[in-house]
Amino acid sequence: MSGNDAYGRFTVAPVNTQEDARPAVWTMKNVINLRIGNVCCSLICRDAEDWRKLEKIKRLYHGFLTQESGTVTVELAGTDRLSPEELNAALSNNEFFHQENVFRSTSQVVDGQYDLTRGYIKITGERNLINPDIEGNHLNMLISLAYYTACKMKFNGRPPAMIVHSCGILRSGQALLFTGPSEAGKTTIARLCGKKNGEIINDEMLLISRPRYDGEGFTVESGPFLGKYPSRRSLKAPLRCIFQLKQGSKTGIRRVDRSEAYLKFMRQIITPAYVGQKDKRSVLLLMSEFSDEVTRTVPVYELEFNLDANSLWRTVGELQK
Amino acid sequence: MTISNRMVQAENIIWRRIGDDIVIIKDDGLATHVLNKTAAYIWELCDGKRGIDEITASLCERYDVSPEEARADARETIENLTKAGIIKYI
Repeated sequence: MSGNDAYGRFTVAPVNTQEDARPAVWTMKNVINLRIGNVCCSLICRDAEDWRKLEKIKRLYHGFLTQESGTVTVELAGTDRLSPEELNAALSNNEFFHQENVFRSTSQVVDGQYDLTRGYIKITGERNLINPDIEGNHLNMLISLAYYTACKMKFNGRPPAMIVHSCGILRSGQALLFTGPSEAGKTTIARLCGKKNGEIINDEMLLISRPRYDGEGFTVESGPFLGKYPSRRSLKAPLRCIFQLKQGSKTGIRRVDRSEAYLKFMRQIITPAYVGQKDKRSVLLLMSEFSDEVTRTVPVYELEFNLDANSLWRTVGELQK
Repeated sequence: MTISNRMVQAENIIWRRIGDDIVIIKDDGLATHVLNKTAAYIWELCDGKRGIDEITASLCERYDVSPEEARADARETIENLTKAGIIKYI
């Protein structure tokens, strides 16, 4: 018997709709509880086809599995109408709209309902939304939504950590954060890291935590986010500095002024919107405040780099001294 | 409808003082503007109570500048801020 089997069976009270009027019974087979920073979220799949994907996700996320049930529970119900390519195309211009506790998408490939008082979200969408093998980071977006929704419930909407689109490398006990949009070179940095230059925390998304007490700085923490080099280990380290990536023909570094650092860092924060949030302005204010806090206290550099790993890590190492 | 010559900051923005600059983001999250120290000063004076005359006077009080030069600078900055949609006339 595996450790997880000890949970046995438990019940979850779903949203009170006609379809879900009776309490459902879930077995461990179709549930995973994930620790994401300071919160826990549960993913539940109803259909056997989805369980198999959940099993795979469970293996990928094994460093983040927990026995604690989630502040937020996300129930997934799958449909199989679109190929991965069609799904990505449909979601590229997708927008959500809300009506009471229901949300729908303009692409019509995903919709759902939620009950924030119970921390319950039911999403009906294409199965490939939780397929870790396809491009598109849909699973990361789902985990982010669950995380920010849990923060809404547990921390009254002010997350103690934000999810940032970045690659983190652990070197000499400190975390170096490499940020930039898609194609900026985050995965290239991870590849150039190898084993001798540090440990890859994640090459796609990381949790950046606010200081918890006077004297503590910002910290970088891994989470159940999929990248090309997925982090399977829970890691946390103090944030030493931030590199905003720029691919070029040489290796060079320059200190970025405050306004530029603030704006560029803010754009890499995964939008901290909880399910059903309609007020875009308060989301932007959260991002603005967080970016200001981080870039006021953590040095930010622009790192121009090419594929020469030696000069890259020499330059970074000199700065770290 | 009459339009006064008083200016006020637009409502559909968020702003933050970053060092000496003021960084303004439209609340669609897309358009951004960075105002340097002088432009930020004029921006802060757009409080719905002042028009070009009062802003010119404030500039002359704070900086070593002639009234003509201050008025021209204020006019140009206000024009740019209005075009950018981050202040408006009331």
